[in-house]
Amino acid sequence: MFEQIFDAALFDSATRAMIPILLAALGGMICERAGVFQIALEGIMLAGAFAAVAGSYLAISWTLGVVFGIAAGMLISLALAYGCVTRRGDPIVLGIALNLLAMGLTGFLLPQLFDVRGVFQHPRIDGLDRIAIPILSDIPWIGPVLFDNTILTYVALLLVPALWVFLFRTPVGLRLRGVGERPLAAETLGVSPTVYKYGAVLASGALAGLAGAQLSLGNVVQFAENMSSGRGWVAVVAVMLGRAHPVGVLAAAALFALAEALGFRFQGNGLPVQITDALPFVVTLLALIIARKRFARLLDLTTAA
Amino acid sequence: MLERVLNQVRDMSRRAVVSPVTFSLLFAFALAAAIVAVTGGDPLAAGGEMFTGAVTGSGLRNTLGRSVPIIGMALAVSIAFRSGIINLGGEGQMVIGGLAGTIVAIYVPGPGYVIVPLAMLAGAVVGAVWGLLPAYGQTWLRLPILITSLLLNYVARAITGYLVRFQLLDDAVTLTSTRQVPETARMPKMPIFGGVSLSLILVIVLVALLWMVYTRSVAGYESQMTGFNMRSARYGGIDVEQRTVQVMVVAGAIGGLIGTHLIIGEALRFIDGELVLAGFAWTGLLVSLLAVNRPIPIFITGMFFSALQIGGLAMQRNAGVSWRLSQVLQAVVIVAVACRLAIRRGERPSTEVSDAESAAVGEV
Repeated sequence: MFEQIFDAALFDSATRAMIPILLAALGGMICERAGVFQIALEGIMLAGAFAAVAGSYLAISWTLGVVFGIAAGMLISLALAYGCVTRRGDPIVLGIALNLLAMGLTGFLLPQLFDVRGVFQHPRIDGLDRIAIPILSDIPWIGPVLFDNTILTYVALLLVPALWVFLFRTPVGLRLRGVGERPLAAETLGVSPTVYKYGAVLASGALAGLAGAQLSLGNVVQFAENMSSGRGWVAVVAVMLGRAHPVGVLAAAALFALAEALGFRFQGNGLPVQITDALPFVVTLLALIIARKRFARLLDLTTAA
Repeated sequence: MLERVLNQVRDMSRRAVVSPVTFSLLFAFALAAAIVAVTGGDPLAAGGEMFTGAVTGSGLRNTLGRSVPIIGMALAVSIAFRSGIINLGGEGQMVIGGLAGTIVAIYVPGPGYVIVPLAMLAGAVVGAVWGLLPAYGQTWLRLPILITSLLLNYVARAITGYLVRFQLLDDAVTLTSTRQVPETARMPKMPIFGGVSLSLILVIVLVALLWMVYTRSVAGYESQMTGFNMRSARYGGIDVEQRTVQVMVVAGAIGGLIGTHLIIGEALRFIDGELVLAGFAWTGLLVSLLAVNRPIPIFITGMFFSALQIGGLAMQRNAGVSWRLSQVLQAVVIVAVACRLAIRRGERPSTEVSDAESAAVGEV
């Protein structure tokens, strides 16, 4: 029974489920480190998914699709940065409104630009190919699971150590953390919080946009309305659970992805889709309860204390 | 006397003109027009269709009808926001309460004057229970309601989807849907404007009730104090935990009422996933933000947003521009308001209207 469920195919689908969550959560992590509460990930991911499909369709090239995805993500995050850094608006209000904006805008543009409702599929949309890494992909079991994937998968996985180095071993990363933890001290030392916060929010936009591109060009090759379906919110929780640390975030994303993949698997074994769809969210809630001591800061932030 | 009135009118109109809300509305309409133009539509024709569609013909009736869930969900979220509780779970509370009400309406026999109130009550109770979960999550486990209430939306969708698909399915239709609500158990329509649901009265009563609670009662004062500053409220002797639970119960109950109304008064069938599509909980949230969580402005703003959506549907039929433009418009208004009106956290809102607005929009 156990071996029937936990086979290579399960981990393969878990990897695919993990990458969008991981990319978005890494973006959220950078914001968290810079002291910006980023809850627009869901909307940015959706906008990125749409723009990636649109770009790929227009140029018949996944490269342009990915570029479009990043650009769309950065555009929305620019609004967030302007609102909450320059205008000192509430990041929660802005985040909610931007999520709804992305939902409305993609729902509007889909019939307007492509004359379809609900789902957009087309042979012109160029998806991300699986690129097998020589030698590594030949490793039994692990090879096909990890080293035979889309380019964005490798980008996401490499970003985990890269962001660790960036945050904890570079001066820029130190200043970024300083801006988040002790904004006054950072400013006194001549580090502009504005610049760092803008940078962090824009970076998160780019990463969540990439997450969207992986969703619509990697996991499937199509855009469906609201296809981010809660993954951005799961990413927000992954940042919390992972204590805004790259390795922690990776672990949290992996946990949720495994839940999603298990859901698919149980579906294949006859469990109703309505129940399996809820599995990642139930697991997320349970993980929150288990790790609950960690959220004092967020609780303070969200209860207008 | 006349002069004083004139002065007041002048003063009010001046304030309205320079009001950030006015600016944000203008900005949003301009942006929407630009989007229509860029995507190959005619913004003027679209705008014309939107306006006439919202108020002429059956438009007025539909606007009034759609205002019920929008204003209702806005009231539900405003109760929480006023107390500084960020309840994003309106959707789940509405959906799961709505199914409970539907079950009562379909399966409990009896005359309409018993079944309709009973169904509404069932919806309210189940919605309230669903609201209790994140409330206790915050007071017992210290999990932020913002996150838990949102995640529970997806769980509510799954539960209702499962129940409709496997327990309550009507085999006679191809939809994943419950049976139709029997004629006797439907929410009656009032004979005005060609038939507006009686629920509109319920919403008006709720607006009046909340207005009275907020302006005339200790509970209203306490919940607002909690919203301003939770620590000082606690210091001042307010039981913040208890208040959180109460607020979430009331918010969830209203959500359940609205969900039930949407089935027994409008759709007549609980179709899996259908209740979520129109996004009433989210529209209501934007309405509440724009109206700064005050009941009477919520009523007016809710009517306006309802008209925008009904007009949007007419625009889609007649000008070929998707009604989702209305959603874009609404979200842009809030983004613009939140950008222009920001006040730093921790600063006290002053008593002046525009400042009080900015404070509340700025920090929920």
